[in-house]
Amino acid sequence: MIRHLTRKAAGWLVMIVVATNVTYVLAAWFLDPRSNYRGLRPVRTEEQIDHALAPYNLDPRTPLADRWWHWFSNVLLHFDWGKSPVGASVDSEIGFRVVVSGQLVTAATLLSVVAGVALSVFTASRQYGWWDRTTQLVSVFLFNVPAAVAALAVVFAGIWLNQHLGWRLLYVAGEKSPDVSGVWPTVADRFRHLVLPTLSLTLLGYVGYHLTQRSLLLDNINSDFVRTARATGLTRAQAIRRHALRASLIPTATSVAFSIPAIFTGAVITETVFGWNGMGQYFVQTIAKNDVHGAVAVAAFGAGMTAIGAILADVAVVVLDPRVRVR
Amino acid sequence: MTVTSPGTHPPAGSAATAPALSVRGLSVAFPSEAGPVQAVREVSFDVLPGRTLGIVGESGSGKSATAMGVMGLLPETAQVSGSVLLGGRDLVGLGDRELSAVRGKDIGMVFQDPLSALTPIFSVGRQLSDALRVHQDLTRQAAWNRAVELLDLVGIAEPHRNARAFPHEFSGGMRQRVVIALAMANSPSVIVADEPTTALDVTVQAQILDVLRTAQTETGAGLVLITHDLGVVAGYADDVAVMYAGRIVEQAGAHELFARPTMPYTIGLLGAVPRPEARASGRLVPIGGEPPSLVGLPAGCSFAERCPAAVDRCHQQEPPLTAVPGHGRVACWRSHDIADGNPAAGSLFSPPEAAVEEHRPDRRGPGETVLRVAGLARTFPLTKGAFLKRRVGTLHAVSDVGFELRAGETLGLVGESGSGKTTTLLEIMRLRPPEHGLIEIAGTDVAAPRSTERTQQLRRTVQIVMQDPMGSLDPRLPVFRLLAEPLQAVGTDRDAVRVRVEELLSLVGLDASLADRFPAALSGGQRQRVAIARALATEPRIVVLDEPVSALDVSVQADVINLLTRLQHELGLAYLIVAHDLAVMRQVSDRIAVMYLGHIVESGATEDLFTHARHPYTEALLSAIPVPDPQVERSREHIVLKGEQPSASRLPRGCVFADRCPLYPLLDGGTQQRCRTERPLLRPAASGTDHRHACHAR
Repeated sequence: MIRHLTRKAAGWLVMIVVATNVTYVLAAWFLDPRSNYRGLRPVRTEEQIDHALAPYNLDPRTPLADRWWHWFSNVLLHFDWGKSPVGASVDSEIGFRVVVSGQLVTAATLLSVVAGVALSVFTASRQYGWWDRTTQLVSVFLFNVPAAVAALAVVFAGIWLNQHLGWRLLYVAGEKSPDVSGVWPTVADRFRHLVLPTLSLTLLGYVGYHLTQRSLLLDNINSDFVRTARATGLTRAQAIRRHALRASLIPTATSVAFSIPAIFTGAVITETVFGWNGMGQYFVQTIAKNDVHGAVAVAAFGAGMTAIGAILADVAVVVLDPRVRVR
Repeated sequence: MTVTSPGTHPPAGSAATAPALSVRGLSVAFPSEAGPVQAVREVSFDVLPGRTLGIVGESGSGKSATAMGVMGLLPETAQVSGSVLLGGRDLVGLGDRELSAVRGKDIGMVFQDPLSALTPIFSVGRQLSDALRVHQDLTRQAAWNRAVELLDLVGIAEPHRNARAFPHEFSGGMRQRVVIALAMANSPSVIVADEPTTALDVTVQAQILDVLRTAQTETGAGLVLITHDLGVVAGYADDVAVMYAGRIVEQAGAHELFARPTMPYTIGLLGAVPRPEARASGRLVPIGGEPPSLVGLPAGCSFAERCPAAVDRCHQQEPPLTAVPGHGRVACWRSHDIADGNPAAGSLFSPPEAAVEEHRPDRRGPGETVLRVAGLARTFPLTKGAFLKRRVGTLHAVSDVGFELRAGETLGLVGESGSGKTTTLLEIMRLRPPEHGLIEIAGTDVAAPRSTERTQQLRRTVQIVMQDPMGSLDPRLPVFRLLAEPLQAVGTDRDAVRVRVEELLSLVGLDASLADRFPAALSGGQRQRVAIARALATEPRIVVLDEPVSALDVSVQADVINLLTRLQHELGLAYLIVAHDLAVMRQVSDRIAVMYLGHIVESGATEDLFTHARHPYTEALLSAIPVPDPQVERSREHIVLKGEQPSASRLPRGCVFADRCPLYPLLDGGTQQRCRTERPLLRPAASGTDHRHACHAR
């Protein structure tokens, strides 16, 4: 198992290195950091701009190969991913954004999976029943709601709740309040910020798990081995949970693992609506601001998460399905 | 198996033992778009502790729905009425929770398909100990130990190690043993076995029936054995209930039922079964017609449409199940007449037209050889790895197989699954140079270079009929198109196609009006007839039949077998048949080749082979077929082979059968040595015949 994972990890590492370097070349080609300086007053000459960019290894007068080598050796030797066109450190930007996004993504993913799978078990056992039809209708509806609309609806709901309570229970913007100190107050404050965006991500995220897991489960629910399990004295619900569910969880486990990178960098709209400085927002910003190093770092981060997701998926499959033997 | 009970129910109070299970007036209906499907109607029976009730019926007769109704495992949409009394408690109407306390504890079940009956992701030991812990307060360790004991009891070798194995690591027979262990785990008072051996090879079937017997003696449970195989019932059941269209139409002790069947359906069914113990003098006697649809059944007896003894009353009123002295209980208005021998049971169903007289003698005439196979071998590489396939072994599917087939002759290939029968057929159908050996079709060596035209001609010469007509006919083409397709492929023009399709339909005994139906609108028997007609479309000389009747019910099977025999006569076809049912084989084949692990171990004329089998494997195979006659079945000696056919990836150096050979332990050291080291060759068993076998000891 360990050997297998090491081999897999090595393969992914090569993949990440290649992907990142290709992204660097592409980004350096298409993004023009000079445009950040062109709008400034007083107007600067091209030469001045290039000169200003030079300390950040973004000077277009330096050949691309040299810039690349400089960047690459820095990443390799110091894990320094470079500077933005205005001199901010990419490392520190990503550092705190990963934590911010991490909170959001972890909570939302866990909730989506738990809610989706639980709902699928509940409804698949009652196929074509009233509950099944209703929840399916709701899920299909939510599936088609744009993220911005869902987030705004959640914001309104939060505001309405706060108004009714007469005090601000849930924050609708930002990831933390600036003036909180102490362990427990901090945790409580973070939590109050976290609820609404998590809710909005979960509402959009659980649907996929509900619908796919439901149909996967239906494939298994009438299978012979569930009947055998019932014949040994399990109730239908028990037989479904213990036998059918586990067998049908395998594809879902894989898809959860692979969806993590997508949510990390893809929650742009939710982050924007709730004013969270997460990875998704950063990704959009770096490209808008022609921040070559930032964009490349985000890409590398996405590749890294994909690799972790893929390896987690492998582990999950081996754990869930004894027929898969690792050699 | 001592005394059989009198066929009637013991009147209340007089019985020495109370029934373990008592079903009264059980009815099951499923809603459908066409109206409620009356799957089970007013079924009543008792099962005494330690005794076996066999429920026999064809598909759609309601036997499985009865089993599921007893277990309370029917879908929620099913409407169930009547009562299922288990230990004095009525199970009908109980909720899932209450039923689950009964299932597995007081009543256990064995299912038909062992390959899908076990959860793939749990080890068999875990599944067994879970089943124990549902009803008993055991520690994990105690349950595991008991699970290992149970595995040992049902004959799983090395139970300690194998308890940790997962179902996919087991063969079908082993999995069915595990399912039986599951059913008996909590010593239930009733075990329901729904077609427990249908999916298994005949030699494994004998083992599994033994295991069921062990389970029964171990738990003292009453057994409900549901099957379509009259032979299994004859050897195993104390009482038999015959079901037709959802009802029990005849119920009697096994000996009475087989000796003096009274309901015309039972009589017909017994007449339609090919018997392995004697070559039938003529063709099989089919019942004719098909079972009725269970939606909106007509008022009268549901068998009246197919019944030769039917009178007016049969079409108006459904007969109740009444006791006929000396015969058990029968649902037939004419049961007393038939019991009195008027009409006589034997003359009720007449053999089909042109049956008896012309049979056989001239058939083995000097027909020319149309297929010659010699030294045929086929291997498959066993590979491992996802991207880079490494070869880790070789599967010897077929090794050194040879035979000849003459026009007008039928050659049967028999053997357990995995013996290489189907591979042999497919090698012939491929029309490509074989890996090894020679295939000659109508005098043409398939390995020799030839024109495209000649290839097409060869294709026309060999045609195949598959096992499952539902799978082999395109469901989106009507019958006409299905039959026209092979004709168009060989370039027949439109008018000729139209004529030929009509001709083909009448040839296989189908009405021309069926031409625009889709396969789904046909019955199983009709579909197989279409498949046969399709194979005959291009006027082949050789027809390869892969299990042609195994997907069909007994009463329909006889029809199709007779059709095949008639066609062979009329068209002078050569048949190469693969079938696992040896009784059917005896009926249709002129010569038989017995295959084991890719080798022909014995071959010869059918009668010769059945009466003077030389190879110990043939003997065992023949002995394993259940005979549909309790007298014969219970008195004869059974050879039950140990274990199952090993994988063909590591062939032993000597005789391929030595590991399972019942003869081997009795041999002297020198011969044993030969069996281990030297592969026996086929040699003549007796002079003057082509009976040949491959065994050092005989």
